[in-house]
Amino acid sequence: MSFQILAEAKKVAKITLIGEVDSLSAREFQKEIERLAVEQPDELVLFVENLTFISSAGLRVLIFAKQKMGTHLAVYMVKPQESVVETLEKTGLHHSINIVDQYL
Amino acid sequence: MERKTFPGTLDSLADIRQVAKEEAQRVGLSKKAAYNLMLAIDEIATNIIVHGYEEAGRSGSVDVVTEVADGQLILTLEDDATPFDPLQRDLPGEETFTQPLEERPIGGMGIYLTINGIDEFRYEFVNNRNRNIFISRIGEK
Repeated sequence: MSFQILAEAKKVAKITLIGEVDSLSAREFQKEIERLAVEQPDELVLFVENLTFISSAGLRVLIFAKQKMGTHLAVYMVKPQESVVETLEKTGLHHSINIVDQYL
Repeated sequence: MERKTFPGTLDSLADIRQVAKEEAQRVGLSKKAAYNLMLAIDEIATNIIVHGYEEAGRSGSVDVVTEVADGQLILTLEDDATPFDPLQRDLPGEETFTQPLEERPIGGMGIYLTINGIDEFRYEFVNNRNRNIFISRIGEK
């Protein structure tokens, strides 16, 4: 008889972004990050399948998240659109963010 | 040549991007080129509104002027803020973008994305107005 044990103690913060993140909406995004940072999550998961636009203001919130939530924070972006991935690559953020097709 | 005027506030950004998107589609830019133009316009319009107007305690408008000439789509943002050439600031070098996020200086990303996203970006100060000019070649990419 086989034995399995699965345990999880990590804290995960999840945010879904829909539509366009520009300098105006980035302020809302940042407030949400600040609110979640209090919980000191280990992982930040961003569901971005329906995110159609992100400017540098939005990217700065991602940098802010990493700085605010601690360097141990693992950031996941689930299903970003091609143009969003390109912006992440141009600015090198793809080195610090895990781009994934799904988060389990 | 067509001119559209928007209030110099952040809630104009979506409408300003929309102009860029519509013009890009009208002249048949690729989806990628259209997105990059929209991004470039958004970045510079943000700088005008945040630094040129909000932080300076001034109010004003942002005009989007559209022109198609010599196989190019030329969009110009005009504003009445203090003269500011976005190309005068130091651009972040390649090394900035390989730094871990937590060590990275914030800033410079917007102008970097602007210049890298379109065929040509120019700045001029004419008739007491800042003019940020975005040029996309039609029929390429």
